[in-house]
Amino acid sequence: MTPVLPSAALASAARVVRRVLAQPAAAVSVAFLLAITVLAFTAGLLGLDPLEQDMLAMLEGPSAAYPFGTDELGRDILARVIFGARTSLTTAAGAVLLAAAIGVPMGLVAGFFGGWRDVALMRVVDLMLALPGIMLALALIAVLGRSQSAALVAVGLTGVPTFARVARAQVLSLRKRDFVTAVEAFGATSSYSMFRTILPNSWSPILTQMVVLSSVAILLEAALAFLGVGIPPPTPSWGEMLRTGKEYLYDAPTYAVLPGVALTLTILSFDTIGRALSSVLEGRDTAVPQPRAERA
Amino acid sequence: MIGFVTWRLAQLVPVLLVASALIFFMMYAVPGGPVAALVGENATQEQIAAVTEQFGLNRPVAVQYVDWLLRALTGDLGQSLHSREPVLKLIGERLPATLQLAAVATLIGLLVGVPLALASALSQGSWLDRALSGWSALALGVPTFWVGILLILLFAVELKLLPAASAYVPVWQDPWQMIRNAILPAGTLGLYVSGIFARFLRGSLITEFNADYVRTARSKGLKEGTVVARHVLRNAMLPFVTIVGIMLAGFIGGAVVTEAVFTYPGLGRLVIQAIGSRDYPLVQGCILVILAIYILINLLVDVLYVYIDPRIDYG
Repeated sequence: MTPVLPSAALASAARVVRRVLAQPAAAVSVAFLLAITVLAFTAGLLGLDPLEQDMLAMLEGPSAAYPFGTDELGRDILARVIFGARTSLTTAAGAVLLAAAIGVPMGLVAGFFGGWRDVALMRVVDLMLALPGIMLALALIAVLGRSQSAALVAVGLTGVPTFARVARAQVLSLRKRDFVTAVEAFGATSSYSMFRTILPNSWSPILTQMVVLSSVAILLEAALAFLGVGIPPPTPSWGEMLRTGKEYLYDAPTYAVLPGVALTLTILSFDTIGRALSSVLEGRDTAVPQPRAERA
Repeated sequence: MIGFVTWRLAQLVPVLLVASALIFFMMYAVPGGPVAALVGENATQEQIAAVTEQFGLNRPVAVQYVDWLLRALTGDLGQSLHSREPVLKLIGERLPATLQLAAVATLIGLLVGVPLALASALSQGSWLDRALSGWSALALGVPTFWVGILLILLFAVELKLLPAASAYVPVWQDPWQMIRNAILPAGTLGLYVSGIFARFLRGSLITEFNADYVRTARSKGLKEGTVVARHVLRNAMLPFVTIVGIMLAGFIGGAVVTEAVFTYPGLGRLVIQAIGSRDYPLVQGCILVILAIYILINLLVDVLYVYIDPRIDYG
């Protein structure tokens, strides 16, 4: 990896996008995510209402009026799935940004200074990794209470260790490189070296992790909602829909299917793009995810 | 060897200390503190004062923590606020259910994952290899709770073959009922974990296939089956054991969602119920026990290593 100039960075970013899109599975995934994002944020314009109740049509199967049926309050399942995408995507995006905002500086400091800072910070990371992500998130929600911001923070904090490790590994591999030594020889401060010299050259593994963690964040948010401790109703959320749908498996077997399909396709899309990105950026298939008990 | 185990056990102490302190202070940070959870929202000033006095909550947090810790060391994790029963007893009741589920799930994962990895690695690059890779990507990507719901829809709602809610039946009591009850939740977790097993084992098998000693074995004229079974598989199994251990350990606390799907009475559901009823001593106790078991299983894996790999010597 060499230091990058702004124009060169743009050109290489365009090249990365082209090479990712050249992989058919990744192209399909990007198209799907774009479609679902556009749909989620323009659904109001299409006349879809996730909260409108039709008391005469509760728990109905698919029909012309409701292509995916209605829920126990007579609400349109299709509308709720589309609006659920908004909840899911915004929470995941916020969580990943939060995780990176905490984890990356942690890893940079640990790797850059070494010594006691490294030991202390990495022990915190180890401790966070020792608990299954879902347990950590549950403990946080027990403290923070149940709200969208609590879900975001809980999901975000579980991602901190990953970013800390990636950033630390980057520092360790770049620290002794000539361009860093040169900047330091010119009298750069530690924070200049870390944030203006090393960080700009570490974007590829961090970006890959952001995409991979998006899929984990979406899953974790849905899992929390499924357990009844996520974003509170009536805000539509895929996990919450699966939770309620499960209660009506005998009355409305199709209820739980569509939210699950949307959730699964979104997760698989992020996974696929993450794999494509890592093969393009790092020339290897880092598809093997962090082994965690459940993907949650 | 004994030295190594003692050293690793000693390392457990600071981790659990820090973890327990973190958990304790986190619970203390709850809006309104533990008192609010104890007396409810509509309590009078007198009730609040009485409860604060009764549980010694007016003492400094650090004193309360040390007090809790000293009692935890004697095996007393406090009392559930909800059921008034000892926390350790409640955990003890759920633990066997979770351990059994974790064991069956890991077994299913191995039964599916190991043959997949072998078939994949032996036909590297072929359509079969690609199909199997696709399968493990799918097994990894699909949320376990949705797989669980689909399995319930198929086997309980449509075919009416298996119960939709899984009870805990100890295997020694009634093996057949155990299988009927555990197959759906364990299968859900097992399918997921088979994806991980297959991917890791395929990777390490391929590395071994390219090693020099395999070429030597083949050039000696050994049959391919012998090469695979005697040489490749044995070496490839080494890093794989760690993954199996991590997954098994993770299931102890991490199977919360699957336990919820199948209303299985395990440790994970106990935590959820405890959080739901703001039963902080119970939440604290559960998380501490889960963490301790997780670390112990990982230690066990490290010890196991010495037996599988004679090259490793912990001194």
